[in-house]
Amino acid sequence: MRNKLMPSSPPTNSPMSPSGDSRQITYAEAINEATRQAMALDPQVVVMGQLADTPAGIFGTTTGLAEKFGRQRVMDFQVAEHAMTMAAMGASLTGIRPVVVHQRLDFMIYSLDAIVNWLSLWYFKSDQKSCMPVTIRAVVGKGWGQGPQHAKSLHAWFSHLPGLRVAVPATAFDAKGLLLESIFSQIPTILIEGRSLFSMKDTVPEKPYRISFGKGAFRSRGKDCTLVCLGMMVPLACRVAETLSQQGVSVEVIDLRTISPWDEEMVSDSVRHTGRLAVMDPGWQSFGCSAEIISRISERNHRDLRSAPLRLAFPDSHVPMSQALEDCFYPSEEKIVRHIKDWLA
Amino acid sequence: MKPNLEKLGRKQAVRLLEQMIRLRTLEETLMREYHPANEMRCPVHFCLGQEAVPAALSLVVQEGDFVFSHHRSHGYFFAKGAPLGSLVAELYGKKDGSSGGRAGSQDISHSEKRFFSGAILAGATSIGIGTALGMRLQKKPDIVFCGFGEACTEEGAFWEGLNLAASKKLPVVFLCENNRYSTFSDWHARNADVPLLDKIRSFGVEATQEFGNDAAMALAGIQAGARRARAGRGPVFLEFLTYRWCAHVGPEDDSANRYRGKQEMAFWKKNCPIQLLREAMEKRGWTDARLFRALEQKAESEMAGYLRLAQKAPFPRVTSWREMNESPEKVHPEIPDEKKFRPDFDAKQADAFLTSY
Repeated sequence: MRNKLMPSSPPTNSPMSPSGDSRQITYAEAINEATRQAMALDPQVVVMGQLADTPAGIFGTTTGLAEKFGRQRVMDFQVAEHAMTMAAMGASLTGIRPVVVHQRLDFMIYSLDAIVNWLSLWYFKSDQKSCMPVTIRAVVGKGWGQGPQHAKSLHAWFSHLPGLRVAVPATAFDAKGLLLESIFSQIPTILIEGRSLFSMKDTVPEKPYRISFGKGAFRSRGKDCTLVCLGMMVPLACRVAETLSQQGVSVEVIDLRTISPWDEEMVSDSVRHTGRLAVMDPGWQSFGCSAEIISRISERNHRDLRSAPLRLAFPDSHVPMSQALEDCFYPSEEKIVRHIKDWLA
Repeated sequence: MKPNLEKLGRKQAVRLLEQMIRLRTLEETLMREYHPANEMRCPVHFCLGQEAVPAALSLVVQEGDFVFSHHRSHGYFFAKGAPLGSLVAELYGKKDGSSGGRAGSQDISHSEKRFFSGAILAGATSIGIGTALGMRLQKKPDIVFCGFGEACTEEGAFWEGLNLAASKKLPVVFLCENNRYSTFSDWHARNADVPLLDKIRSFGVEATQEFGNDAAMALAGIQAGARRARAGRGPVFLEFLTYRWCAHVGPEDDSANRYRGKQEMAFWKKNCPIQLLREAMEKRGWTDARLFRALEQKAESEMAGYLRLAQKAPFPRVTSWREMNESPEKVHPEIPDEKKFRPDFDAKQADAFLTSY
């Protein structure tokens, strides 16, 4: 069974067959391809990241780029995340379009000062005269005992900041389109990538294309409830919807794709006809994105809501290493199916 | 210590003197007006007593160069030749301020003039190092000057950046104005007894110390540093020993905090950078009381003009908070929107617990 991804505005031409003659590549390959195309289109695009110029190429996402574009443009970097981010920002003032890559988001925390005190407010502080078109890619681990210092997503933190855009792509198609959009945007962007998604394949056009921020995508259409999700929660949400549909429950799955800004219109329209809202967020529950989404939709759609909204997020705990604990920390398909059924009952 | 004017011609000496007088007058004008009018409603870190380095820099910096500064920003704004009227208006929170009234004294910038500052220590310096990297990547001839105080070197971020600048031989001139105190706290109480220059040199960066109240010496140091950076021979660190006459922030006297003695202040006032240069010039007959007074009067009327304009200027208004924070969308003309494509996503794939790192 396949679940079709439908863009927010379905095209008018006939849909491609599910098996499609279009090419399938992985999430990691899609990121690599987007970067390669951006670098070919514009000599100002450079990549900065520890080990970015090695054959391993940050899980394949930068493999081969140094050979093609040279080590001036694909730079290995000191183990100094703050300096790396600041260097990218400073270089962007001279016209460079840097893509900063972190093997794990947790290391990026050393650059919080750069992001919070400088990058996010640079445009504002300059009276809208100076831009820092910097793209930051950060990989979030999941599984194989990544533990408390290799598996934090923190997309809610970055979304809290004005002046920044944050995307959490779930599919190879989205990873490519959002990266290309970010690189050529004037607004600084943080792309949070789920390591567990890297080997997932998707139909990805060879040509470059871009995805606008704030445009969600339906992963399935349904009438009983709206299930909003993003990042590594998306494949899980799709499987949950599939299972529930076999049990006679029809779920509308919305993949937000970007969280700052997020597609409030799409969620609001969906809740208008389903009357129920659940949010699956790959982050902690307290003060997280799920709270913000539910809060805004409650303010806007309170007359449409037929029951209290539901948050399906990670427990308010640091991520454990042991698989026995990990299995309890990350929600399973069965657990979420049960939860949603109880909620709807 | 007497300024050595051997290598400085009369014309350049007069220019240096004039620049110091202008900067001193700017600060004094602002300080007089700060209280009790209370119309400049932002923290201001005055650079009274520290005029020599910015004045010297103003004679070396080129149009294409970038200048990055810490919170004590007025001297560097001035050095880069950014319009002083827009600095004064910025302090008043006016629309005509160089940052539209959004940043104030400690965060001021002037994008067209390639001047940027910020209050979080070492931040502007770190960004400046990145700008030098951008210059290098594009083989541009311009260089970067980063001005900061000695406490900036207590930040880890500073050393990360210094290591980067050294390893890539980036065209940066670091201007460290060592005025000994971080607010009320003495450098010697916070650092081991290791000369700052030794620490800097251990990173592979050329470093020298100058008497920072000797404008002629500062000028020679900055000229040499800039030459080296422009020639692609890597970064240079210049430490200038100098002294702040007023409080860390604001025009008030902060002696009640008893962190520095009267004798110390008297020593530094005796070594006023303007007086030192003036005396050395008078000895050579390059200036006299009349010329000096004329320079002062010219500066006074210049600054008074900025003050009047800033006071009369309109306040900014909120357009939209989003517009004020986010640049308008820009898309690459050769990259179409996703709508052209119809993706297909297999949701049955496992987002595997991968057996890799």
